Amino acid sequence: MSDLAAASSLVHARDGTRLKGQEGPRADAVQSIGARPIIMTVIAAFLVFVFLAPILLVIAVSFGEKIEGASWVWAFDPSNYARVFVGIGWPDQITLLYAYKLGYTLAYAVLGSLIAIAFAFPFTYFLSQCSRPAQAAWLVFILASLSMSEVFIVMGWDIMLSNRSGLPALFKATGVTAWLKDTGWLAVLKDWGLANPRNVKFKTSQLATVLTMAYLVWPYAVILLYAPLSRIDRSMIEAARTMGAGSFTVMRTVVVPVVRIPVMGTLLLLFVYLLGAYVTVTYFAEPAHQTLPVSIYEAIRGATLNAPFGAAQAVVLLSTAGVFILASLWLGRLAENRGR
Amino acid sequence: MTQNFKTRSASNLTRRTILKGAAGTAALAASGSMLAMPAIAQARSIKIGSYGGYFEDSFKKYVYPAFTEATGITVESVTQPNSSDWLVTMQQAAASGTVPADVSLYGKDTMIKATRIGDMLKPLDASKIPGVTNLDAEFLYEGPDGLVGVGSMAWFNAMVINPNEVTPAPTSWKEFWENPAFEGSLGISKKIDGRLLDITAKTFFDGAETLMSEDGIVAVLDKVAELKPHVALWWSAESQMEQAMKNEDVIAGSYYLDVANIMASDGFPIKPLFPAEGNPIGYGSWCLSPLSEKTGEAYEFMAFSSDPATQALMSRNIGTAPLVNRELTDLTDEEFAFVSGSPIITPAYESYLDNETFIKERWDAMLAGA
Repeated sequence: MSDLAAASSLVHARDGTRLKGQEGPRADAVQSIGARPIIMTVIAAFLVFVFLAPILLVIAVSFGEKIEGASWVWAFDPSNYARVFVGIGWPDQITLLYAYKLGYTLAYAVLGSLIAIAFAFPFTYFLSQCSRPAQAAWLVFILASLSMSEVFIVMGWDIMLSNRSGLPALFKATGVTAWLKDTGWLAVLKDWGLANPRNVKFKTSQLATVLTMAYLVWPYAVILLYAPLSRIDRSMIEAARTMGAGSFTVMRTVVVPVVRIPVMGTLLLLFVYLLGAYVTVTYFAEPAHQTLPVSIYEAIRGATLNAPFGAAQAVVLLSTAGVFILASLWLGRLAENRGR
Repeated sequence: MTQNFKTRSASNLTRRTILKGAAGTAALAASGSMLAMPAIAQARSIKIGSYGGYFEDSFKKYVYPAFTEATGITVESVTQPNSSDWLVTMQQAAASGTVPADVSLYGKDTMIKATRIGDMLKPLDASKIPGVTNLDAEFLYEGPDGLVGVGSMAWFNAMVINPNEVTPAPTSWKEFWENPAFEGSLGISKKIDGRLLDITAKTFFDGAETLMSEDGIVAVLDKVAELKPHVALWWSAESQMEQAMKNEDVIAGSYYLDVANIMASDGFPIKPLFPAEGNPIGYGSWCLSPLSEKTGEAYEFMAFSSDPATQALMSRNIGTAPLVNRELTDLTDEEFAFVSGSPIITPAYESYLDNETFIKERWDAMLAGA
């Protein structure tokens, strides 16, 4: 959730100038009694302890040395990082196993957040035009749905996609399965990994993984987009309409340009959130398509007790996420400057 | 969520407790009577760890009260998340001089791991634990300093099928590889110690011997890779496999014998089998912390646990297989078939430890096709 808070401030960071102006006299008053340095020191110490120390610890552990058949010891062993990129058999043999896992992690997070925004944006746009009571009701419902844990959501999807209780059962009952068998489409679906000899199957599949992830973050997308979309000046839209612009043109030339920065911020936030998705991946992705967080968990808590390797993977994931976020911020700024 | 190491989660084990409510009533009454005798109990006590959930609850309900009745020693039950995690906890506790549990329950690989880490397990004097002679010798684990683990109970990873969908029933694990009806239809443990390697080694190679070398491991992994198109679910949590069998998302696979039996008696379409090659066995051991001052009490508990009557008590109420010769117990044929069978596949524990990083990475790479 701290990710959320951080990125949420990023979404609304444009208001920063106003905050600066407010500091004036009141800040001076606080300073005059000398409380400010003390408060700031306490907060800084707290931040270092709560946020920085765990990260430093992870980095320190990532250099630990694994003792085969036992646990691990503190050391300065960079081979854990080498293993993340080329595997344990290097230099005789190279495996890109963990690079693939990193790739799936990023791909799922990008696709999941894009799909979530694709559904959340129009929904929120129309929501912001509803009556006040309707908006309130929807927002309460969406906020409440945030309290559902990933475990429950995955359980729900699991039932929806199950052979006897979900879509495959529906296919069978309505005769679609029989039709697929007769026409030979079932064999094709089997080749795609979406069927067994008896019926269609949607678990495990990348489709189920990405859709569940999108569902997981959709409420966040609505809540983050609600504020900027409801603040849009309606008179601008009406003016565009009066000048003959159609709905699509209004959306393209008025609405989207106004909210593109909050949308970008929301996208980044959902992306970061989904990087850590664990339950969804363990349930809906086959091992060949699983992500780095699953591998990290297995290294630390699994039978090998290889915390250093888990930590090294975590640091690589963190760095990659950081690079992605910086790159998108930089691209955003570039586009912004070019627009002027 | 899921247990990583050797550890069966108990949650499933123990629905047996509910099922066998009738059998449990007597024991419940016994535990009730224990409450009436705290005076003696206060005098001597011991902290014993076991995997949490229903498993631990069953111990608290059936085993510990009987122990207290027999010896006057009260048991303070300690929850272990599983064995490998618990080893880390015990290691940290030892460093700070505390003893979270006098006696811990460890899977065999964790126990070996503990002896390799060193100073984790206290050597035991078998002559002071009269009951241990009841146990088969292989369930008494000797570290470099002598006996350190006394077997407590065993469990099986059995072949299971949906009897409505799979006819006739397979007689060999080979059919999982060879019968096209299993295409995209099997549920197999994703965990490296889910015992598929041992099953494959026994079925197609020379068993545990083959897993002792890197070449052998690679050969077995290549054979496992051939099974991948038939696997619909690589489960990591027991509940996943339970749901998949119930929903018929999978129609066969490998799963815990006791849970499969419980599900079958609940009316779900699942049937555990002992194919020609057998099923892999796993077992837990009681181990004593070197910092514990309750050595005497621990000996008494280990002796009690090794008693055939206690082994039968655990089989009936927790669903585990006895570690003593069946003839020593009063288990009926039906009761015994519920918790055990033959032949037995013994896992290549030493290899899993000696080559653990290699096996783990190659296993993951095999699964990922990378």
